Amino acid sequence: MIELQGLTKTYGDKTVVSDISLRVERGEFSVLIGPSGCGKSTTLRMINRLIPLTSGRILLGDEDVTRLPAEQLRRRIGYAIQSIGLFPHWTVADNIAVVPNLLKWPSARIASRVDELLDLFHLDAGEFRDKYPHQLSGGQAQRVGVARALAADPEVLLMDEPFGAVDPLTREVLQNEMRRVHEQTGTTVIFVTHDMDEALKLASRIALLDAGRLVQYDRPIELLTAPAEAFVSDFIGKADLGLKLLSRRWVHQYQQAATTSGDAPHHWETDAQGHPTCLHGGRPTADVPPRVAVTDDWTATPGMTMKEALSRMVWYRVGVLPVIDDAGRLIGEVTLEGVMGRQP
Amino acid sequence: MMAALLRCERRRDALLPLLSLLLVALVLFMGRLEPLFHAAFPQLETPVYARESFWRLTLDHLVLVLVSSLISVSVGVSAGLFVTRRTGREFEPLVSALAAIGQTFPPAAVLAIVVPLAGFGFVPTIVALTLYGLLPVVQNTITGLRTVPPDTLEAARGTGMSARQILWRVELPLAMRVIIAGVRVSVIINIGTATIGSTVGAQSLGTPIIAGLVGDNIAYVIQGAVLVGLLAIVSDLSFERLERRYRIGGEATD
Repeated sequence: MIELQGLTKTYGDKTVVSDISLRVERGEFSVLIGPSGCGKSTTLRMINRLIPLTSGRILLGDEDVTRLPAEQLRRRIGYAIQSIGLFPHWTVADNIAVVPNLLKWPSARIASRVDELLDLFHLDAGEFRDKYPHQLSGGQAQRVGVARALAADPEVLLMDEPFGAVDPLTREVLQNEMRRVHEQTGTTVIFVTHDMDEALKLASRIALLDAGRLVQYDRPIELLTAPAEAFVSDFIGKADLGLKLLSRRWVHQYQQAATTSGDAPHHWETDAQGHPTCLHGGRPTADVPPRVAVTDDWTATPGMTMKEALSRMVWYRVGVLPVIDDAGRLIGEVTLEGVMGRQP
Repeated sequence: MMAALLRCERRRDALLPLLSLLLVALVLFMGRLEPLFHAAFPQLETPVYARESFWRLTLDHLVLVLVSSLISVSVGVSAGLFVTRRTGREFEPLVSALAAIGQTFPPAAVLAIVVPLAGFGFVPTIVALTLYGLLPVVQNTITGLRTVPPDTLEAARGTGMSARQILWRVELPLAMRVIIAGVRVSVIINIGTATIGSTVGAQSLGTPIIAGLVGDNIAYVIQGAVLVGLLAIVSDLSFERLERRYRIGGEATD
């Protein structure tokens, strides 16, 4: 748990961050978001005191760390930044081991921790341990950057737009990976971004800042459905509010039993293993064949967002998607009517 | 491009032991070349400098260069470090200007000023060489430390390294190649410049050169000059090797 109490930063008579108080529970993924210059990065950097605070208090657990020497504090807080900042003269293993080394862990423990973290990010330890940063792709370097921040099991992980500089495809992959890593490690995260889609994808709580002021700190759904003031809905963007909402909904929430009997208006054919092979009916327009073969492209999984499921329906012009499990077996379906029929 | 560079490096690597051997052989056995110099300059009575052995002259020359370079490097690197820290930042223009003045002054002029103060011989030569060699060290230290990427420094601070740990573990290793390049220039300059120490009585490889110029003995000049030249080339090649060790990132490895 980390709590900010009345965090304020002024430069001369200019107030950059004004009286921000918020509490991030253990294991929560909290996102600070807002337009540029809103003070989100400054707030983050005050937490590990890369920027000294003008006034306010920071509690880590029950401990007031506001007066703790900055270096000691930083070794308890992970920090990952957009430009990554890997040490170019050290190997991947040395980079990851920085904080454990500073904390003087025994070398055997450091080595096993490095391998464990590379493993967590699906980087082959044997291959990557001894590589140098310039031998890594942007995505790999960012994984190593996050691994470095996680190395000493920090009480909080601070991330300052970590995926802002990578291409959209890599960003998507890294976001998914971050979700997985967060679920696996249960680390408390405070994440700064200006990208609402990224926030909606990752956050369990969102703090929206404007001009140094905390406008609303809530669960993503609340932010979408119960904005505290007009600025909130303006910032989120009214035009695709519906899609944004669906990006916080999961297929398993909309999943219904799949029909395999021939009497229903649409039904599935499956093979002996239970994989869906064909869909009868279920297309919204008449100019498409009544029976179509199921391809992997238009299946859904329980962990997929409804936004993506809807997108697949639109693209393949089907009113229904089969929901499959890890083995590819038919376990249910989601329908266009199901999406429309539910209160947001 | 890369391959060509590597080939070129390999050729120079072969050059280093070869030239070192030549240097050592000439230093030890210059006397054996007497028939050669005699044939080339038949009008000279003593065609090989013999008032002092060449290894003694080379040693003295090296001591001059080493002492002055050690001082230049310690003063220069400290000054460069100081002005790149938060507390010394405002002194940077001053330090850069002072170092530049040190190099604009001709060493001969420095000798003219220092000799009346410190007497003849070793000391004024060391002063002149130290001042002369300061600029490249100071400048390269500042440049080297400035080129450490700000993100790397930010990340280093974020991990909880102290200022001292950041300096020793991150800044200096990353700046080392550029700093060494500065030391290289400084040392090479001083190997050449140390010869003028002989005009004020500091013994060096300049001694036969001066004697040759004064006594109209071109063979002495050649003997001194060839050794100084070889010494400079051998040092340069050695420094190049050292610099290569500190290559990192996108630059070629091995």
